[in-house]
Amino acid sequence: MWKSVRSGAALLCAALLASACGGGEQAGTGAQPHEKVKLSYGVWDATQQAAMQELAAEFTKTHPDIAVDVQLTPWADYWTKLKAAVSGGAAPDVFWMNGPNFQLYASNGVIKPIEEQVDTSVYPKALVDLYTFEGKLYGLPKDMDTVGVWYNKTLFDAAKVEYPADDWTWTDFKQVAAKLTDAEKGVYAVGAQLTSFQEYQYNTIYQAGGYVISPDGKKSGYDDPRTIEGLRFWTDLIAAKQSPDLKTMTDTAPIQLFEAGKLAMYWGGSWDVAEFTKNDYTKDKVDVAPLPKGEKQATIIHGVANVMSAKTEHPAQAWEFVKFLGSKQAADILGKKGPIPAYNGAQNDWVAAHPELKLQTFLDAVAYAVPYPVSKNTAAWQEAELTHLTKAWTGEVPVDKAAADLAAGMNDLLAEE
Amino acid sequence: MTTTAETRTAPAAHAAKRRRPRTEALWGYAFIAPTGLGLAVFYLWPVLQTAYFSFTEWGAFGGHTWTGLDNYVRLLGDPEVGQAVLNTLLYTVLGLAGIPLAIVFAALLNRPGLGGVSVYRTAFFLPVVTMPVAVAMLWRWLYNGDYGLVNQVLAVVGIDGPNWIADPATAMYALVVVGVWSSVGYNLIIFLAGMQAIPRELYEAAAIDGAGRVRQFFRITLPMLSPTAFFISIVSVIGSLQLFDLVFVMTGSGQSARANPAYSRLQTVVQLFYERAFVTNDRGYAAAIVIALLVLIAALTIAQFRLQRKWVHYV
Amino acid sequence: MSERRPIGVHAVLIASSLAMVAPFVWQVITSLKTLSSATAVPPSLLPEGRWDNYAKVFELLPFGDQFLNTVLMAAGRVAGQVLFCSMAAYAFARLRFPGKNVLFVVFLSVLMVPPQLFVIPQYQIMSSLGWLNSLQAIIVPGLFSAFGVFLLRQFFLGLPREIEEAARLDGAGPVRIYWSIMLPLARPGLVALSVLVLLWAWNDLFWPLVVNTDPDKMTLSAGLAALQGQYQTDYPVLMAGSLIASLPVIAVFVFLQRQFIQGVAHTGSKG
Repeated sequence: MWKSVRSGAALLCAALLASACGGGEQAGTGAQPHEKVKLSYGVWDATQQAAMQELAAEFTKTHPDIAVDVQLTPWADYWTKLKAAVSGGAAPDVFWMNGPNFQLYASNGVIKPIEEQVDTSVYPKALVDLYTFEGKLYGLPKDMDTVGVWYNKTLFDAAKVEYPADDWTWTDFKQVAAKLTDAEKGVYAVGAQLTSFQEYQYNTIYQAGGYVISPDGKKSGYDDPRTIEGLRFWTDLIAAKQSPDLKTMTDTAPIQLFEAGKLAMYWGGSWDVAEFTKNDYTKDKVDVAPLPKGEKQATIIHGVANVMSAKTEHPAQAWEFVKFLGSKQAADILGKKGPIPAYNGAQNDWVAAHPELKLQTFLDAVAYAVPYPVSKNTAAWQEAELTHLTKAWTGEVPVDKAAADLAAGMNDLLAEE
Repeated sequence: MTTTAETRTAPAAHAAKRRRPRTEALWGYAFIAPTGLGLAVFYLWPVLQTAYFSFTEWGAFGGHTWTGLDNYVRLLGDPEVGQAVLNTLLYTVLGLAGIPLAIVFAALLNRPGLGGVSVYRTAFFLPVVTMPVAVAMLWRWLYNGDYGLVNQVLAVVGIDGPNWIADPATAMYALVVVGVWSSVGYNLIIFLAGMQAIPRELYEAAAIDGAGRVRQFFRITLPMLSPTAFFISIVSVIGSLQLFDLVFVMTGSGQSARANPAYSRLQTVVQLFYERAFVTNDRGYAAAIVIALLVLIAALTIAQFRLQRKWVHYV
Repeated sequence: MSERRPIGVHAVLIASSLAMVAPFVWQVITSLKTLSSATAVPPSLLPEGRWDNYAKVFELLPFGDQFLNTVLMAAGRVAGQVLFCSMAAYAFARLRFPGKNVLFVVFLSVLMVPPQLFVIPQYQIMSSLGWLNSLQAIIVPGLFSAFGVFLLRQFFLGLPREIEEAARLDGAGPVRIYWSIMLPLARPGLVALSVLVLLWAWNDLFWPLVVNTDPDKMTLSAGLAALQGQYQTDYPVLMAGSLIASLPVIAVFVFLQRQFIQGVAHTGSKG
C-alpha cells in the first residue's frame, strides 16, 4: 500500500517537473562537418524491421561516417505520429511514404524533392509516376505489389471447373463464377469486397476503360459510364448471389470466408502470400491467376517509396542513404525477406520462395499495371467512396446514381484541395 | 470522566479555537491541493481549451487558425451529425427499458428466504465486470447472420434471423439489447441495496391490511425506490449519450466500418467525435461536436430534474 | 400456493441467469475451434482444443506487455485516487477554510462535464510533454477524480465526530487525524472506491486508445480493438483474445465479490 501510494506521489512530482522543463530536449544535435552523422529512418512494418536493419548496416559499411537508426512505428499510428513529428520539426531524416499520403506531404513542402538526375528506368514507370508531383520526383520506389485472383483448387475441383487460364476474360470469369456458386453448401464464387478498392473496384474500373481521377487530379471519374461498368461488375455478382451480400460480408469478411472454404476466389494482393501459405486451411489448397481481362487488361500497382524530410539536418547524407536503398544491392537484400523489390530484375528470389505457387503472375502483371489513383487529399474522397458506394452495394441506390453522387461529392472535395 | 476532561481542557480548547482557523484553513488548502491542481491542469483548463478549439480550424500538419463560428455552422448543416444525434438519442431512450427490468429482477432476488441469491447475483454481475470491448466482440459473433448463435437458435424454431448488426432495420435494437444485457446487473445491485433500506414495518403493516406481494410491490416498493430509480435514470442517460466502446468495436473499428450498411444507423456522437479528432485530425470540428454533446447532456439532465416532480416520491 | 411460487421465481431467475452466462460459454467454445468449424452449419457444441487461436493472439500482440501496462495503470490510478481523493474529501468534510463551498462546487462541476471534452487538450499536453506512448500518459490524468472526492466526502460525513474531537483535544493536528483516525474508519469507503477505479481503469478504452498507439504501450482493451483491426472477423482468434483480456478482472471479481457489490451499491447511495 505504502509503496504504491509513494509511487503515485512520485509520478505527480514527475508530472509537474516534466511540464516545467518539457520540450528542452531536442536542442543540440547540430553536427560538425566531417563528424559522424546519425540518420533516423522511419518505417511501419514490423515484419521488415530486420531487413531494414540489415540494409542500414550494409550502408554503414560503405559510409562509415553515417549511422542509421531504424525507427519502427506500427501502421495504425504511423501517419498520426508522422504528422505530429513533422509539425513539431522532429520528423525522421528518411522515411517510408505511400501513394495515398504522398501528395499531401509533397504539396505541403514537408518532404524534399530529389535534385540529382537519377535513372528511373530501373523501376516500374507507374511507381515513378506515383511519387512525382508537379514534375519533380520525391522518392525512390522501395517495393511494389500488384493484384491477382487467388483461388481455392479444392472448390474448383469439386465443381469440376478448370483452373483460370492466364488469358481469361470477364466473360470467362462470369461463367466460372456461376458454376462455382453452390447456395446449398453456402459456397460463393467470390466476395465483392467493398472496403479494399485497391484489390477490387479500382482494378475493374480500369479494366472497363474507366478511371478514378483525371490525370491532373482535378476531376472525379466516377460519372464516366465505363467507370460505372467497372463498379457494376461487382454489384451484378451480388445481385446474382454469386457473391455474398454486403451484410454478410460485414458480419464475416471475405478473407475469412475464403479461409473457411466458403469463397472459391479471392481478389488479393501479392502481399497475401504470407497469409495464405501460413493459414492451415489455405496453405495446400490455393494458387493464383492474373485478373481477368475486360476492355483492357489492368491491375493496380502500388509500392512504398523512401523519401527525405524537408527539414533534415543532413540532406547530403540522407540522399546518399535513399540512393543506396533504391539500388540493386539493397533490392537483393530486401527480396530475400520481404515484399517484391521495386528494382527491375531483382525480383527472382521473391518468386522462388514459393515454387508451388505461380507467383510470377504478380510480376507479369506489371506490364499492364495502373498506378494507384491519388490526389493531394486522397483520404477525404476515399471516405466519400465508402459512404456513397455502400448504398450501391446494398442495392438501396442504383449503381449509376450512387456513382454520380460520389462524383459530385468527390469533385467538391477536389476543388477544395 | 467526560465531564472532567471537558472542564480540564476548556481553556486550552478555547485558545486553540482562536488560533485554529488559520492553520486549519492552510491544512484545508494543502489537503485539496493535489486533486485541485490535477483537476485544474487535466480537466478544467482542457474544457476551456476545447471550447476555444471549437472556433478554430486545424491544418494537416498542426497549427490552428481562428475561424469564428464556421464549425458550428458546418455542424448544423452536417447530416452525419444530425443522424448521429438521432441514433444516440434513440439508444438512450430505448436503454431506459433496462431500469424496470432491473427493478423486477431485484424484487425477485429480494424475496425473503430465497435460496441461491449470490449465485444469481454473480451471473447478473458477470457482464458488468467484463471489458466492453470484449462484450462487443462477443456479441458481434453471437449476432453473425450466418454462423451466429442467435440465428442458429432461431433456426431451430424455423425463424430465419437477419444480419442483426449489419441490417439498418435491426442494428440499433440489437445494440440496445447488448447495452441492457451488460448494465442490468449494475442497476440491479443498486436497486437491491435500495430495497433493503426500506423499513420492514411498512410491509408488515401492509400485510396486516391484507395486501398481497404484488400489491405491496406497487404500493410500497416502487414508490420507495423512485429516488433510486431517478438517480439511475440520470446516470444511465448521461452514460448512454456518451456511448462509444460498443459501437466502435461492433461496427468493426476503423474507416472500413463505413462499409457496414447499418453504419449510419449506429454511429454515435462520441464515435463521430473520435473519428474527426483522431482519425481525420479535424480537431476544431471535433471540438464543436463535443460541445454540442455537452449541450445535449445538460438539456436532458435538466429535463429529467423537471420531470422528477411527477414521479419521484421523497419520504 | 405460496410454496409453489418460489419455483416460478427460480425458473425466471435461472432462465435469465443462463441468458447472462451462455454467451461466455459460447465464447470459450468458439475460441477452441478452427474458423471452418466455427462457421459450420449447424454448429457443433463441442470445443475442439484448437489452442493455436490463443497462440495467434500472442503472435500479433505483446499481450504480456499489455497485461502489465493495464495492471500498472489500474494500480497507479487506484493508489493515486485513494490517497489524493481521501485527502481532499477529508478537507471538504471536516476542515473549515474560506471558499470551501465554492471550491467544492468547482470540483463537482468536473463531474458534470462529459469526459470527451477533456480529451483533445489532454492529448496536446501529453504530446508536448513527449508522453505519448508512455505509462504516465495512461496513469497521470487518472490520478485525480472529482467522483472519488465526492464519494469519500459522503463517507466521511457519515462518520461519528466524537473520536476525532477527542483526538483534537489531545492535540492531534489535521494530518494525524486524517491519517490515523479517518483513513482507518473510512476503510469500507476506500475499498469501494478502489474496486470501482480498478474496474473502470481495466475496461477503459477511449483515452488509452488515443494516447498509446504503440502496441508495446497499449492497454488490453486497446490491444483487443487492434486485434480486430488485424484479424477482422476471424472469430475464433477474437474470442480467444477477448477471453484473455477480460479474464483477469473477472477473476478478481470472483475473489472480491462482496467488495465489488458493495462498491457498486455505494455509487447509488444518495447523500
